[in-house]
Amino acid sequence: MKKISLLLLAFLLIITTVACSPKTETPDSPDLVQEESPDVEPQEEPVEPKGTIILSTTTSTQDSGLLDFLLPIFTEETGIEVKTIAVGTGKALQMGRDGEADVLLVHAKADELTFVEEGHGTERRDVMYNDFILVGPVDDPLNLKADHPNNILEGLKVIANEEVTFVSRGDDSGTHKKELSIWKAASIEPAGDWYLEAGAGMGDVLKIASEKQGYTITDRATYLSMRDTLDLDIIIEGDENLFNQYGVIPVNPNKNSNINGEGAIEFMNWITSQRGQDLIKEYGVEEYGQPLFIPNAE
Amino acid sequence: MEIKINNLEKYYDSRKVLDIDSLTIEKGKITGITGPNGCGKTTLLNIIAGLDKDYKGSITYDGLALNRQVADKMTLVFQKPYLFKRTVYENIEYPLKLRGMNKSEIRPRILDILKRLEIENLMEKKAHLLSGGESQKVALARALVFNPELLLLDEPTSNIDPEAIEILEREILRFNQETGGTVIIVTHNLEQSRRLGHRIIEM
Amino acid sequence: MDYILQGFKEAIKLIFSLDKEVINIVSLSIIVSTSATILASLISIPLAVYFGIKKFKGKRLFSRITYTLMSIPSVIVGLVVAILLSRRGPLGYLDLLYTKKAMIIAQTLLVIPLVFGLTYGLTKSRGDLIEKVAFTLGANRWDTIILIIRELKIDILVNIATAFSRAISEVGAVMIVGGNIKGYTRVITTTISMMNSMGDYPMAIALGIILLIISFVIHSLIYSYSQED
Repeated sequence: MKKISLLLLAFLLIITTVACSPKTETPDSPDLVQEESPDVEPQEEPVEPKGTIILSTTTSTQDSGLLDFLLPIFTEETGIEVKTIAVGTGKALQMGRDGEADVLLVHAKADELTFVEEGHGTERRDVMYNDFILVGPVDDPLNLKADHPNNILEGLKVIANEEVTFVSRGDDSGTHKKELSIWKAASIEPAGDWYLEAGAGMGDVLKIASEKQGYTITDRATYLSMRDTLDLDIIIEGDENLFNQYGVIPVNPNKNSNINGEGAIEFMNWITSQRGQDLIKEYGVEEYGQPLFIPNAE
Repeated sequence: MEIKINNLEKYYDSRKVLDIDSLTIEKGKITGITGPNGCGKTTLLNIIAGLDKDYKGSITYDGLALNRQVADKMTLVFQKPYLFKRTVYENIEYPLKLRGMNKSEIRPRILDILKRLEIENLMEKKAHLLSGGESQKVALARALVFNPELLLLDEPTSNIDPEAIEILEREILRFNQETGGTVIIVTHNLEQSRRLGHRIIEM
Repeated sequence: MDYILQGFKEAIKLIFSLDKEVINIVSLSIIVSTSATILASLISIPLAVYFGIKKFKGKRLFSRITYTLMSIPSVIVGLVVAILLSRRGPLGYLDLLYTKKAMIIAQTLLVIPLVFGLTYGLTKSRGDLIEKVAFTLGANRWDTIILIIRELKIDILVNIATAFSRAISEVGAVMIVGGNIKGYTRVITTTISMMNSMGDYPMAIALGIILLIISFVIHSLIYSYSQED
């Protein structure tokens, strides 16, 4: 057995060496690299790499797939690599305060304005909004869809009165804050066995709501992207209380020398430019028949 | 009763370690087996005890093939005895409990065997902390207490003080005389086989 | 750097003020992981001893598979259990996903290979002699398994403690099948993970300290017990 193991090991070593060698040997064979694409039409001159920015954003932009669509285009056009850290809005703002991110894309307008006022960010611009929806069991036991199709405040009142399972993000995220602000607008303090605080991302919360056949407030994008795996329907939508504004904030570069201030500003300018806004409007149409985010930069 | 061995061969990998054409061991007798190291004495004992089933040839006990029922009638005391991590009393109690005896039956038997081997004072001691001689006495007591038909002993007195050897030999002889039990003792000590054995086999 | 120190201060305060939420979370962790460890031990220790002393064809391959499964990632166990228990899954009718029971099931499955592998290895190396002695004294297979467990109980206890440590410190499986629901399925590790993503360090640090203390206490108990013996 030992012999065979040794042989295997040697074999693996050889493979790795061979597989790695072209990279290390490129100085020896410059022609070969050239030859690979000699006759291809001269493409647009690739943009010089201009470093990396760290984008701290919310899980909803990541989970909806918007960033996976936008960022490669941004990198191609500007030469700036983007490292995305998808966390709750609370944590995203905290990362900004600690100087651990270069630019933020978040959705908690009041907190964002405070953030800039306190000097953690240089400015804040509107980027886009999406809307939230109340989803629930397909058979809608509370009959909310029929009774209050566009009135989230009335809908929540019925849920709280009947003490039907409602799953909350409970994670201090922008969506969580949004949800709490709607409860507040409905003058209800949600608590009790029926109110489940998941402390998890939107995807997990949707799954929990589906398993427990409860109601939850979700962003449309995440719901649409997971619709096929859930036993949940849209119950209430289109209420103004359910709109959700995203903003972009470059982190104050004076915090530490690692912050890429220029890259951050370039990102802000790009995403609020006509080009960035058009791309946002385009995303999701093909797959869901409707855009997931509505651009509204000024 | 007798043990009959025919054409017994045992291999480790491809090396032959045991080769016995024909051997009969008589009932009620003490048989000493001697021979140099590595001649297969211990292997033979393990095969008879049913611990080693990987051999060629035939062994019968009273005309029966070696099976669980046969194995229950015999016991083996190892050169380095393994005692359970419990008291001496509980060690000796173990084979009796396996045989379903009740407590009132067990206690006098254990007290009796402890007395014979002169280890009453060790009764409540933890067995795995005893000295070599003490351990060997407990191991023999644990073997004798259920009156086996056949007692297999593998170098029971190596590295033991003379006083303990005397007690062990005395009790082996007494077991044979009083119960008519058969004994096979493997020893490299020729003196000992002469002292104990009715018959001596040189391997 | 200040927030780290601040975090520690508030963490200590949380622990000593016996914060109700902290107590709930810690006791749920202990209940879930203890149940899982006990279940896994009852199932796998006798089997491990049985296979440890048994001689059979392919035992080497069997050992290798066993040792591989010992380090199965908890997220994989969580994923499999979640798929089985979800409403659309084969066991969906049991309505167990996102409950304590689901967490116990997942952790049980997670540590079964661990308890089994450790005890199997132990028996393979130390059970042979005990088995021989048991055989010569007339023990049947079941008697022998009981005897070996009793003789190796200290080492087996250490194995059980190792399994408990793994269970209580894993986050992947309980997060997936429990969902980290406050007051229902929120345990130490899922809270730490959540608090970190919320940027709320004091609670995370407090729970981290408690997790370490639990591990320390358990291993100290086992150590002193083994010294006594």
